[in-house]
Amino acid sequence: MLLKTKKLMKAFGGLKAINKVDFELPANEIRGIIGPNGSGKSTFFNLVSGVYEPDPGSYIEFDGKDITNEPPHKVGELGLARTFQLLRLYQDMSVINNVMSGYHTLVPYSFIDAVTGRKKIWDQEKVIKEEMMELLSFVGLADYAELNASELSGGQRRLLVLARAIAGKPKLLMLDEPAAGLSPVNVDNLMKILMRLKEKYGLTLIIIEHILKVVMDTCSKVTVLDHGEKIAEGTPSQIKDDNAVIEAYLGKKMDDEEMRKALDV
Amino acid sequence: MDKFKEIIRQYPFLGFIIAFIILMLVPSVFFTDLYQSHLASLICINIIVAAGLNIVKGFCGQVTVGHVGIYAVGSYTAGCMFLYLGSGLWLTLPAAILIAGLFGVAFAIPSFRLEGPYLALATLGGGEAIRLFIENGDFFMSTYGISNIPQPIIFGVPFDTPDKYYYIAMPVMLIAVYFSFSVLRSSVGRAFMAVREDPISAAASGINVKKHKMLAFVLSAMFAGGAGAVYAHLPPGYIHPNNYTVIEMVTFLAMVVFGGLGHIWGGIIGAIIITIVYDLTRPLYEYQLFIFGLTIVLTILFMPKGIGGFIDKYFIDRRFKTKTGAATK
Repeated sequence: MLLKTKKLMKAFGGLKAINKVDFELPANEIRGIIGPNGSGKSTFFNLVSGVYEPDPGSYIEFDGKDITNEPPHKVGELGLARTFQLLRLYQDMSVINNVMSGYHTLVPYSFIDAVTGRKKIWDQEKVIKEEMMELLSFVGLADYAELNASELSGGQRRLLVLARAIAGKPKLLMLDEPAAGLSPVNVDNLMKILMRLKEKYGLTLIIIEHILKVVMDTCSKVTVLDHGEKIAEGTPSQIKDDNAVIEAYLGKKMDDEEMRKALDV
Repeated sequence: MDKFKEIIRQYPFLGFIIAFIILMLVPSVFFTDLYQSHLASLICINIIVAAGLNIVKGFCGQVTVGHVGIYAVGSYTAGCMFLYLGSGLWLTLPAAILIAGLFGVAFAIPSFRLEGPYLALATLGGGEAIRLFIENGDFFMSTYGISNIPQPIIFGVPFDTPDKYYYIAMPVMLIAVYFSFSVLRSSVGRAFMAVREDPISAAASGINVKKHKMLAFVLSAMFAGGAGAVYAHLPPGYIHPNNYTVIEMVTFLAMVVFGGLGHIWGGIIGAIIITIVYDLTRPLYEYQLFIFGLTIVLTILFMPKGIGGFIDKYFIDRRFKTKTGAATK
């Protein structure tokens, strides 16, 4: 198992945002996480990536190591990358610097080397830059490398966030609504790029997404959260027919035809 | 020309040797009196402080208004070491850098929890506390100041006049600038910028936010401390608590903001221009604080990235145009 949580819990005051979630993810899988607004999807990401500290009794394991109370940069170092719902780009940095800072943990020289400014550093920086330019041209942003990230369009920003997360060569990539606000054509484009990146770098993916078409088409398994609890898990077609899921989304049982319409699949 | 640029980029040290030779020749070609040499030494000292301030404020994004306190720590380390131990610049300079670094640690700790104006307030208090502590301490000669701090003697040649002291201040400045360039162009500089732009996102990329804030503060404190020591030994070798007030801090901030926050040349350009302007407006002493405050406000309003930002924009626009045939916004 690449990622494993046991009795994961997080309460904000009296609200149990995540309540005893057991989650297991083998390597090389694409897992979708769905659920209505406020069901704890993003909280789950924040707990796993160390942004929030889980409540006592929780247990998170990544790649065989206990990361329950590790700070976010330690988790990042271990090879768990994530993107944010609100992107959190480095607005005032050039596109290439955005991506290169994602490479931070893999930089081969030490701080002392950097201070003294030895020649080998500039050679290594050159290699890093070439590698990152390759990644940028892979997602189609090579022409914009020197521009500020704030000058990119919405769709380009989503691609840049993706590139920055992949720059650190993670084992597991967690995407928080990667396609939010994109037009249908751009969604397809993004998904195509994502699939190619997954194959190239051997990634394992967890995707939170509200566009169900994306989840149904790409994910091999789907986990459904509602009110902080895991209510269902299975293949997309199993999930589609799960009564608990339908109730969480729509409130009551509907016949097949109506539900298909509502889920737009 | 491109080949020359490539060589400089690969061997940055070579560039600094060239700069050293040019700056060695400057006094004999341009300077007509001792005062200009004195001003040149002051510019060198201010460049060191501004380059350091640019690391913590421009690159790491931590608003600190207490740097003048650390600058005072550097000066008074040098002054007290002379007063009680009789040490010269070669001993006081490393000691000042070390002790200022320790004060940098102290200034970094509030930045873990505070940000923006709150951090500015905390560091302002820290800087003023240091000055008041000096002003009221007999150990530091309180308001008498420390005088007759000696200039170094190399191979029997005393560097005791402003035109000679320039040859001490200038190499120290070049070394400091070299270090600041090396750090800021490496992955550490990128990490500083990432921390400035978005600490949460930076942490997700595996950047240790606290460690880098600490690094930025300590590095820039070391710059300020070194500058303080060089200033203490500047002929006539006199330091007084009144040289380390908020006015000086505003001047340092004006340098970094005017030169370009987060631009690698920012502090240097700003230090040269503002030091000269500061000197020219000396007769208008009571308006100086107003002038530099206004400079900061106007710069932030009308050219938020300072002069450095203009330079950057020009080159990036040109490169982008040649690559895609389109103009940027």
